[in-house]
Amino acid sequence: MQQAIFIILALLTLGAALMTVITRNLLRAALWLVATFFGIAAIFILLRAEFLAVAQILVYVGAISTLIIFAIMLSRGIMDPDQVRFNGQWGVVGGFAALLFVVLAVIVTRVPWPAAAGGAPVGDAPADAIARLGAAFVGPYAIPFEVASVLLVVAMIGAIIIARERE
Amino acid sequence: MVPLSWYLILAAALFCIGVFGALARRNAVGILMGIELMLNAVNINLVAFWRHIGPDQMTGQLFAIFVITVAAAEAAVGLALIIAIYRQRNTVNVEEIDMMKG
Amino acid sequence: MRASDLIHLLPELILLGGAALVLLLDIVWLRRAEERRRQLLPYVALGVLLVAALGLIPGGGDNVSVATMLVFDPFALFFKVFALLAVALIVLLATPYMQTRTPFSGEFYALLLATALAICLAVSASNLVMIYLSMEFLSITSYVLAGYFRQDRKSGEAALKYFLYGATASAVMLYGMSLLYGATGTTDLAGLVAGLSSGAAGQSAWLVTPAIILLLAGFGFKASLVPFHQWAPDTYEGAPTPVTAFLSTASKATGFAILMRVFLVGMGAASMASQWISLLVALSVVTMTLGNLTALRQTNIKRLLAYSSIAQAGYILIGVVAVVSDSTRIFTGINGVLIYLLAYLFTNVGAFAVVTAIEDATGKLEIKDYSGLVRRSPWLAGLLFIFLISLTGVPPTGGFLGKFFVFGAAVQTRMWVLLAIAAVNSVVAAFYYLNIVRYMFFVPAAEEGEPIRVGRPLQGALAITAVVTVLLGLIPGPVILWASESARSLLLALR
Repeated sequence: MQQAIFIILALLTLGAALMTVITRNLLRAALWLVATFFGIAAIFILLRAEFLAVAQILVYVGAISTLIIFAIMLSRGIMDPDQVRFNGQWGVVGGFAALLFVVLAVIVTRVPWPAAAGGAPVGDAPADAIARLGAAFVGPYAIPFEVASVLLVVAMIGAIIIARERE
Repeated sequence: MVPLSWYLILAAALFCIGVFGALARRNAVGILMGIELMLNAVNINLVAFWRHIGPDQMTGQLFAIFVITVAAAEAAVGLALIIAIYRQRNTVNVEEIDMMKG
Repeated sequence: MRASDLIHLLPELILLGGAALVLLLDIVWLRRAEERRRQLLPYVALGVLLVAALGLIPGGGDNVSVATMLVFDPFALFFKVFALLAVALIVLLATPYMQTRTPFSGEFYALLLATALAICLAVSASNLVMIYLSMEFLSITSYVLAGYFRQDRKSGEAALKYFLYGATASAVMLYGMSLLYGATGTTDLAGLVAGLSSGAAGQSAWLVTPAIILLLAGFGFKASLVPFHQWAPDTYEGAPTPVTAFLSTASKATGFAILMRVFLVGMGAASMASQWISLLVALSVVTMTLGNLTALRQTNIKRLLAYSSIAQAGYILIGVVAVVSDSTRIFTGINGVLIYLLAYLFTNVGAFAVVTAIEDATGKLEIKDYSGLVRRSPWLAGLLFIFLISLTGVPPTGGFLGKFFVFGAAVQTRMWVLLAIAAVNSVVAAFYYLNIVRYMFFVPAAEEGEPIRVGRPLQGALAITAVVTVLLGLIPGPVILWASESARSLLLALR
């Protein structure tokens, strides 16, 4: 049952991702990107990482996609339906990406990951996963947590300096 | 149960679609979308590993949360740059943004 | 993490507070103030850097690890001192230059302090999560700095290219990090080496080499190694000149510091070391050769120094591949890298200081604009001469000392082919460095110009860089000792 759900979700996600990179109209591509993000959030739920699924939707759909759509609308010319999608090397790049997929797929199936035989999870996801995440953020991950917040402030200041209307 | 390798193959496929987008798109926003797909592929890897090799340690999920945070910061700065460039030249096609050669 | 660990984080906290202070001073106190008072801001930034350097004293190099995220060892201490010095020099370089060109010069100094903070974190990071975060911190701040001239088309282009390449490279690196986490269940570098040398996944040939290649995309991007260098020429040419000086020295050094820590500590076991060493040998050869050959046909001085900087990264990499675990030797490879990076910092920032002075006065950046410089501004010509012979590697300069230690390590490990290629490359490089000297001293200027006026802060930067560049060659003892001590803590990890 889970396997069937996974296959459907995976196909939907990959299809949406593919549409994101080949759609001519960038605004439509951005909407396909949103669909991809939702698909990935569903995969996270399947993996019992509910917090991440919510974070995924809040940040990727709520913030990043919105930013991207804003950027597209602020620069209307880039929605031009007649524009060329790809650069001159897209054929070569497509071949390279396909080859890369074969290589990566071989790598991830050949490496004996320290998971249980058959690749099933070693145990259940802890029931108090969110509590553990919280404890980690104020415990061993306190420094990265602080650094991430400083990073966000610096990025905000930088984005304002660069994108502000000229005075 | 879904085996680990399925998730990893899904992530690899998503990553390669992202690579294609990042390398083949002409438009800077399109390239950025490709990069976001690559980052999402990494997150699938991280969460799948977390679930399958050590769900007691939250490492994989924590790493993924930091990736999401950084992606947001990166997108903000990147899109600011793209908008600034658009104001200068009315285009964000990277092939046309090519004053410097050699 | 305990409260007592905070003592080790003192420099980082000072830098953070200092960046906030500069930002607030700029907004609250100086925004409407007369121009004279606003010029105090760079000196506030310098003061912050000085206090941060003092903050290194109580807990800098005690080999303490905090929450497996940061390690405070002599190696990290070396690069923190390096970063503070580098950013201080960049502040001096930027002081007349940025203030006349952007209304946001206050934020510029705050962002420079933020890059110093990012480097301090990155060189201490001992966990993949922390390494990724601090590298991105540095990158994102650098994108902003590169695109700081919003009205300038070249600056915007420089930043956009830097951003697109950087974001792609970091995503590739991240994929490699996720595989390493999957193989070992940990992101801590010490746990990584244990997991990789004991677990079945770590033994698999399918894991280690691909992971090294994926990681190299990220590290190689920062260090501008071929083939991850494509951004460098355009970004170096288009970015504000003080930012270019920063990217080619401090940012590059951070790339090398992370590369060395991850490979030596995280993949230090012999079976893995042989894999990254052979990959890095190949990268070193293509990096120096391509950098030098392309530098030969450049006509823009910033672009020439960009390709020269790529080529120099190739030489520096020789030190990494010639690493020996016996820290009692004179040449350990890693100490060569540290000496080289330090000498390159002063030499290259000095060269860019001359470029900044000339650009500030004349707005010109072509090599032919340097003709007759010796008559126009003999001091600038003389100083640039010192920096160029140091870049070439002629004694008695810091550049020679760096090359001596890096090549010496390669001799010791009998890497004759690599050495031969490096030697040929050094000769090629001498051509284009000395070509600038030829223009300055022997080609008469098309038109007589006035002497170039150099502001006080820039004079300070020129004096410091020139004196240190020469002193490193004349009295190398203390630096050799310091670099060898700093390298030791990493060499212990190599087995």
